[in-house]
Amino acid sequence: MIKVEGLYHSYSNDDNFALKDVNFEVAKGEIFGFLGPSGAGKSTTQGILTGLLQLQKGNVSVAGYDIKNISRKMFNKIGMSFEQSNVYSKMTAKENLSFYSKLFDVETRDPIELINLVGLNGKENIKTGEFSKGMKHRLTFARSMINNPSMWFLDEPTTGLDPAIAADIKDIIKEHNSKGVTVFLTTHNMFIADELCNRVGFIVDGVIKLIDSPKNLKLQYGKKLVEVEYAQDGNVKKETFSTIMQKDKNLLNQIIADKEILTMHTKEATLEEIFIKVTGRGLV
Amino acid sequence: MKLLSSFKKELILASRGFYFYVELIFALVILAVLLFAIPQNFSGTSTEYLYFNLPQEGKEVFTNHLLEEDLDAKSEMVEIEADGKTFKAELIVTDEEEIYIVDSEEAVRTLAYSEKVIGAVLGLDENNQLHYKYYLQGYESTRLKNLISILNNESTDVLKERIDNQEVRPLSTGYEPLNDRENTIPPLIGFSGSLMGMFIMASYIFLDKKEGVIKAYAVTASSVWRYLMSKIFVVLLTSVVSGLIIIMPVMGFRINYGLLLLLLLTTGFFASSLGLLIASFYNNLMKAFGVIYLLVILLMVPCIAYFIPGWGPVWIKIIPSYPMLQGFKEIILPNGNIAYPLIASAGFLAVGIVLFAITNIRFKKTLSV
Repeated sequence: MIKVEGLYHSYSNDDNFALKDVNFEVAKGEIFGFLGPSGAGKSTTQGILTGLLQLQKGNVSVAGYDIKNISRKMFNKIGMSFEQSNVYSKMTAKENLSFYSKLFDVETRDPIELINLVGLNGKENIKTGEFSKGMKHRLTFARSMINNPSMWFLDEPTTGLDPAIAADIKDIIKEHNSKGVTVFLTTHNMFIADELCNRVGFIVDGVIKLIDSPKNLKLQYGKKLVEVEYAQDGNVKKETFSTIMQKDKNLLNQIIADKEILTMHTKEATLEEIFIKVTGRGLV
Repeated sequence: MKLLSSFKKELILASRGFYFYVELIFALVILAVLLFAIPQNFSGTSTEYLYFNLPQEGKEVFTNHLLEEDLDAKSEMVEIEADGKTFKAELIVTDEEEIYIVDSEEAVRTLAYSEKVIGAVLGLDENNQLHYKYYLQGYESTRLKNLISILNNESTDVLKERIDNQEVRPLSTGYEPLNDRENTIPPLIGFSGSLMGMFIMASYIFLDKKEGVIKAYAVTASSVWRYLMSKIFVVLLTSVVSGLIIIMPVMGFRINYGLLLLLLLTTGFFASSLGLLIASFYNNLMKAFGVIYLLVILLMVPCIAYFIPGWGPVWIKIIPSYPMLQGFKEIILPNGNIAYPLIASAGFLAVGIVLFAITNIRFKKTLSV
């Protein structure tokens, strides 16, 4: 669905590159997470993929369209949810979505249905200038679905949302993905990336450091330990066992068989810990 | 369809915004000024204070001479208060002047000082020749001062003879001039209807940049040119409405409205394309203000030439507001030259298309800015 080869970009049109030899592919139906700290090149990459920034050097194709000769038809297949909400503040939620629905050549979704989907029920006739930041963000997210996109670009889709709404948004993304929608997710939130993405790419200083699935990364970089809490003689005991060493495996089996297990956790590395280990940089 | 949807959206936004009403209210204010503050013809009457320091017979000769030009051939005795004093005067009113004949040089001096007008004392010198003394304000032009010197050094008979024998050949016959109120319309309509569009267009774009909605539009299947053109349509609509608000009550149905609409639309298209181009270089109105201000000053220069017919250097004619003003003037002139507004419209349309094309390219390149 997305193919990027040898992508370079410089805002100053010199050798001071914001993106350096970026290469990756996103398969149809995949959720690809593009992770990195602020200024790493996430938005620049997304800007080029969506035609907001001009392609300077490299080959990029999105949804079967070559970005060098961008066609407006491409946008019938694309949905884009921006990090910064950008809706007309003097228009109501319904007017906003109705207007955008007329800018596509394909069948579009009912604005009210989308408004309800993102939890803005009953707010359709209120001017968005009166909306909270989170409500505007949800409307911007809803707008990105108006043309039933098969390629969905999401820039920090849960930023600024309360946990319940964020969970709803994640469910909507999962549901659309299950119907075959390809998702390019830009975020610095490793938890949402871990939960949603089939694969993630780490980008720092315009260079992609690593691309793999969260599961593989955890297997590769995790500590392979299990932490167990169990009851013994009226006390709570806590021990850590290796999942590789035979002696530890035997001890763990014995405890599971003989003792009352209170808690048991694998000591997996988080994506954030892996990111820091791989890139030597934090995510902020 | 996409263009129509964008236009409808822009109309909704404009009707809920500030600038849309500013232009219409401005047009109504201009109309009120035209109808109630600007007379059909400005009064050219000036005031002068005279003292004849002459024997009684001499005084009577000059006074009677002036009375020949009085509107009712009669003078009126009046009292003038100035500088805490009261002066008696004989008032003679002609087509062009109100002449007060006072009874002392001190009165002339005081009135010239306090009323800021020219005063004159006519007396005799030691050779019993007429002697003229003028009280000027200091800001009179050298031409006027020279003229006064000539008047006093040459025989008035010689001057009169020369003026009478001057050959005057009208270059244009059948020319019906506009009255002062109508003559004021072209600059007002040019600036409120058309050039105001430049400022308002830039404001619309900066509002959209602030809200980030240009980016959202850019990732739809509609082209950027439609987005820009829909804004131009709104500005053209307000230009036409405000132009008609100003013109219709003053000119009635005496002018060619088809031609007026054509020039309003083409000049509005030119001005709004210019506003779009400026807005493509800046992120907000504050940053663009300097350029807009300079442009407005430049575009106002032809206005000076318009009101001072004797001043019209060639370079002023290449400033777009010059053909704009002349075009509007030709339309409202009873026997105006139809070809001028037609050619001007074609020119504004052509330049507007070029500016729009450049702007479209710039907006495509700078959408993420």
